[in-house]
Amino acid sequence: MKAIERIWTIGLNTVREAIRNKLLYTLLFFAIVMIGTGVIVGSISYVEGSRILQDVGLASIRLFSTGIAIFVGVGLIHGEVYRRTIYTILSKPVSRAEFLIGKFVGLVMTIWLQLLIMSAAFVVVSLLSGAPVDLGHASALGLIGVELAIVVAVATLFSAFTTPMLASFFTLGIYMMGHLSRDLLQIGANSESASLERITRVIYEVLPDLEMYNLSIQAVHQLPIAASEVWLPVLYGLGYVAAILFAASHIFERRDFK
Amino acid sequence: MGIGFIRVGLWLATLALTFAVHRAIPSEPPASREDVFLPKPQLAKLASLGFDAVLSDYYWIQAIYKVGATRERPEEFAPYVSRIIDVVTTLDPWVGHPYRFGAIWLTDSPESVRRGNELLRRGIEYHPDDWRNYFYLGYNHFYYLRENEAAADALEKATELEGSPTYLPRLVARLRSENADLESSVIFLTQLIESSESEDAVAVYQGALDEIDVEIKARGLDRARESFEQLAGHDIEGLHDLVEGRFAVLETLPPAEPRDLPQALHKGDRWFVDPETGRITSTYYNRRYRVNTRAQGEAWEGEAMPSAEKEVL
Amino acid sequence: MSSESEIVQVRDVVKDFRPGFGIRKKRVLHGISFDVMQGEIFGFVGPNGAGKTTTLKLLMGLIRATSGTAKILGHDIGETAFRREVGFLPENAYFYDYLTGREVLDFYARLSGVPSRERANRVETLLDWVGLSYAGDSRIRTYSKGMAQRVGIAQALVHDPSVVFLDEPMSGLDPIGRKEIRDLIIRLRTEGKTVFMNTHILSDVEMVCDRVAIIVEGKIRYQGHTHDFLDDGEHDCEIVVSGVEPELATQLEERHGAELRGQGERVEMRVAEKKVGAVLDAVLKARGRVLAVTPQRVSLESIFLDAVREEEGAQ
Repeated sequence: MKAIERIWTIGLNTVREAIRNKLLYTLLFFAIVMIGTGVIVGSISYVEGSRILQDVGLASIRLFSTGIAIFVGVGLIHGEVYRRTIYTILSKPVSRAEFLIGKFVGLVMTIWLQLLIMSAAFVVVSLLSGAPVDLGHASALGLIGVELAIVVAVATLFSAFTTPMLASFFTLGIYMMGHLSRDLLQIGANSESASLERITRVIYEVLPDLEMYNLSIQAVHQLPIAASEVWLPVLYGLGYVAAILFAASHIFERRDFK
Repeated sequence: MGIGFIRVGLWLATLALTFAVHRAIPSEPPASREDVFLPKPQLAKLASLGFDAVLSDYYWIQAIYKVGATRERPEEFAPYVSRIIDVVTTLDPWVGHPYRFGAIWLTDSPESVRRGNELLRRGIEYHPDDWRNYFYLGYNHFYYLRENEAAADALEKATELEGSPTYLPRLVARLRSENADLESSVIFLTQLIESSESEDAVAVYQGALDEIDVEIKARGLDRARESFEQLAGHDIEGLHDLVEGRFAVLETLPPAEPRDLPQALHKGDRWFVDPETGRITSTYYNRRYRVNTRAQGEAWEGEAMPSAEKEVL
Repeated sequence: MSSESEIVQVRDVVKDFRPGFGIRKKRVLHGISFDVMQGEIFGFVGPNGAGKTTTLKLLMGLIRATSGTAKILGHDIGETAFRREVGFLPENAYFYDYLTGREVLDFYARLSGVPSRERANRVETLLDWVGLSYAGDSRIRTYSKGMAQRVGIAQALVHDPSVVFLDEPMSGLDPIGRKEIRDLIIRLRTEGKTVFMNTHILSDVEMVCDRVAIIVEGKIRYQGHTHDFLDDGEHDCEIVVSGVEPELATQLEERHGAELRGQGERVEMRVAEKKVGAVLDAVLKARGRVLAVTPQRVSLESIFLDAVREEEGAQ
């Protein structure tokens, strides 16, 4: 129980750091502007303007929040080591795993807060333009939130042992592969080569399968979304995040802060 | 004081220079940049990394631009539009209008029309409840490919769907009776105009409707000419023979312009006997209706007319 | 716990670093051993790069020993729970500068498990203790270096630990700041805390420490009580005077064995402690002025220099 209090303390402090950082406000501002430009882009097309408006809105939300997740996430641990703030924290009765999980929780809370604000902007812009908003949109936005938690976890993992530069390359790579792995699996299955099929299968199984968090098309076209299309990815995300944080803590425990 | 004045002067001069340079830069992209890079549809899907919907929108807007910029030269934009709509609908197969957009603009050759039909069939796959894709498919079969059976099959599917026009069953019957004629085209086109989602498409259909209107009047004149020949024992020397003299068969000549043409656009068009073809022709078009020639099995703008194979939906 | 029980126990600790991606190891600590006793202020002294900070980070669990054991309050340093009893001020401590002094202390109090009902009280007490009550609601980024250092001390004490580790607590401070920190450290001893302090400034050690260990090139070269070398009676005093006539200078050199440097307005001289009274009498009698009298802790300095020279000679 004490551990959860400590994780929560570190998490809240991470949120506070973000809230007092002007850069994130700037990014949030541009994200909302981009959601708004969906109206203009939608009006270029003489048909289905409200659909395009929502496509642009959801894409902006994903683009900005993923960008923030990766580029703040990779510096999460490094900043604390570089500024040596981690020294005093770890000298307290705080284990390294608690610290790492606390930082993760803090960034996820920050990003979810931003997602909430961007979602509100999306709903406002949609309703003002007469585009429908329903449970499908909520599901799509919710799953973006789960995907972001996975991205932050991956960024935290790399942040635990390498420089922000390398960590952002790795995280971006995993993010891209995560969206490609289903297509790659298909390519592997259609190829004649058994080894290619095996490689693509391993990639699909091991790397986070992020394409399942993309319900944008279903939401915007108001296609039916099965409950399992939401709760299974949530479950998968929880498991994946836990596994990554476990590995990250394990690596982090062994690290020297020279 | 003096230095402050110089500073402001320099600042204004810099601004003026900058704005002048800005004016010298053309704001419109050069024509060569109209065609954006177009990947293979599957590659686009692969590279979209989950941003497929918005990428689809991007290519859709490019397609609109392309057609808008080169509307008068269908043979130029058709191959590009065919590929770009393929990309659009692969990235987001649940889009609605782009399928019909393809069908509207891919009409420069039988190959293009068949590409358009393929797009419509993909649209039907994702929107099985939308009668419009079936309707457009039927129109393509009837109007461009002269495949009345296939057209009737497509329309029959449309009749079963909610929202389809009530006269469709009659149109189907007409197509099946091998009595397909200009009236069928009028029905098709009137409905297409009614259900059309864009002004551009309305203009296209209105154009066809106008041409058919003139054609119907020309055919009336053809029949009057035959009557004259029977009565007089020789062909007319000019259109005036039909309304003047002993063997006048008509009260007046019909207007040589399309019926719905606004008065302001009337330029005194008239009927004449085309010396090349020997047929009664309006100066408004200077030629007879093209579908008519296709109906006689003639070549389509120099291309071999495909055999009217029945396409399975 | 008796007053002589070991609070910190370090045995044969070795630490190797691998610089870069190389396979070659660099040994930073060569099997060091020492103890810190209950209630004392322990000075860990050595030149820059000797391994002081490495040792301290090791004790704080920031780096892992290659071999050997280290215990604090009887717990292996790999554990975390006992850190409830440990306070730490890193060298050039940096805190979240977007927080106020009060928020920083509250944050560390929470992490240390100070119960919520005591927390606000503790934070106020500590702010007052380090003299920062007036700046408690200002962001850390507006603090001077001395103020930041005092926040550092406050966070090290906010959970009322029994042992405190300070890394170069007086580095980079102006003379007033140094004095303030020195006074705080001495006050810790009166409150019964055990203090472990890294420093390379010998006068600080002499002024506050009970015991010292000297580390050179990763090896402990000397361990002992400060009074061992302070009380051996062999100290010199540095006396600075002005208005000294040449004949007086000669007299001082011949009669009292003083070593003189300079002449006229400012003369520095070194004399044995027992001769200080006589020398001052002579100067005053000759109408000279006494500018300063500074006892010279030659012993520690010489021990320190000996240790460094010995190490250099060994290489």
